[in-house]
Amino acid sequence: MTSATTNTNMLSPTVEAARLRKLQLVGILCGFGAGAWLGAAEAPTKLVKLGVSPLVVSLLMVVGVFLARWSLPALIRGTGQIRIDIRQAPHLIVWGILAGCLWAVANTLTIFAIRDIGLSIAFPLWNINSLLGIFWGWLLFNELRDAGKLRWLTVLGGALLMFAGATLLAIASSAQSPAEHPMRGIAAALAAGVLWGTMYVPYRKAYLTGMNPLSFIAFFTIGELGMMLTLAVAYGGGPAALSKELAVAKPVLFWLMLGGFVWVIGDLFQQYAAKYIGISRGIPLSNTNQLWGLLWGILVFGELRGLSASLYAQVIGGSLLMAAGAGAIALSGVSGKEHARWKQAADREGQRYNVNADYVQAALSGNDANIASSARDASIATNASKATNVSNANNVSNAINSGVSTSQPAMQSTRSWLDYLLVITATTIFITLAILARAPNLALNWPALVTLALAMLIFLAACGLALWRTTRFN
Amino acid sequence: MRTETLMPDAKKAVPPFAVWRQILTDIHFWVPAIVLIAGLAVLHWIR
Repeated sequence: MTSATTNTNMLSPTVEAARLRKLQLVGILCGFGAGAWLGAAEAPTKLVKLGVSPLVVSLLMVVGVFLARWSLPALIRGTGQIRIDIRQAPHLIVWGILAGCLWAVANTLTIFAIRDIGLSIAFPLWNINSLLGIFWGWLLFNELRDAGKLRWLTVLGGALLMFAGATLLAIASSAQSPAEHPMRGIAAALAAGVLWGTMYVPYRKAYLTGMNPLSFIAFFTIGELGMMLTLAVAYGGGPAALSKELAVAKPVLFWLMLGGFVWVIGDLFQQYAAKYIGISRGIPLSNTNQLWGLLWGILVFGELRGLSASLYAQVIGGSLLMAAGAGAIALSGVSGKEHARWKQAADREGQRYNVNADYVQAALSGNDANIASSARDASIATNASKATNVSNANNVSNAINSGVSTSQPAMQSTRSWLDYLLVITATTIFITLAILARAPNLALNWPALVTLALAMLIFLAACGLALWRTTRFN
Repeated sequence: MRTETLMPDAKKAVPPFAVWRQILTDIHFWVPAIVLIAGLAVLHWIR
């Protein structure tokens, strides 16, 4: 009675309207939180003034990302939850690793793009990723289907406004250096945009199928680190040259890995945004990171000082355009009709990969998918008749829709010695590197730094609390 | 009680080759896979 076919036939009703609104608000908040934290991730790397190659900078950030991505989930949910997620949807390991590989290649391409055509041209080109994300969301996952003209207008118009704003900001915030290899640079930037835009396909795939973002990122980071290491060895002159560069980078290891850590928190919010408002809305919102990056650059590091009035006008205009675009997208909620189309896409995934229907449904409604599916399994096991099964299925669905605290037992019971070991190891590494780190010899605007750090902490607390109250980090 | 004990048959064991077949016959998989290969080709060309 627990076959995939039976489960699929007994799919739960769509998520209640009130619950859906709550999840969307959480998703929107996470999108803005992602922007703030992703934008701040570059700040620690600005402290690095040594002659370390960009590839090594990127690799070391990814090492920090790897540590954070295994220790944070261990701290929040416990690695036991990852094992349970794998059991439900083993195919998502491959999707997670694939997404990580896409990220690493895209990130490396941006390094070469900046080298060849400069940031001002490269950034807007790779920023097409959010437009591509909207396209893939529509084509593959039924996003914005049956959404109505107004929602289409606000999402697409908002993304285009953000694109225009990003272009203005990029032009204003970079020195105009002549392009050395324009064709190669443009190809690299466009390819990075396509890779990043397509990276959201595995994201959405995972969240429609029911995987918890905290589990998904654990596999994502394996692909990310593996691919980044391969690229650093291949394009950095071999293992000997790489280890030599790593030795040179010893005093700045902490700052780079701290950047990676900050990036992980932003990316985690981005994952939850993608889960609850889809990639067509979540990705443009998290792209507000450029605004935050600019704020750090101007206010804390004193960049763009003494520029002409027209350049300042460009910065203000670009920022306003980006904010207007983000606001339009945030106001474009997912209608019940559109969410029903999301559910169709989720059902399709569940059927293809034989994923428990309750697991998929619980994921869509932000509940602990494992508890929901185990409750279903237990009820089915103890009831022989089909009628009773349907009745119990409805009970489970009701519990899912009402958002009751079915997840709480899982949160309390899955941490093991391995989780504590992971957290302690990561913390020890960071503390050791902090002791070894060289203090930066830079003039920083400390009041601005403290203000921005406080703003980030407010976002962290608000997003964390909203996620905990509404979904228990599911 | 550990969560795993709450799950009598969370999912029947699926042989790895069956999982691979599910993935490789999914058109969605080939979109990012082809984009990744193309991205690596561009990277090789521009470096």
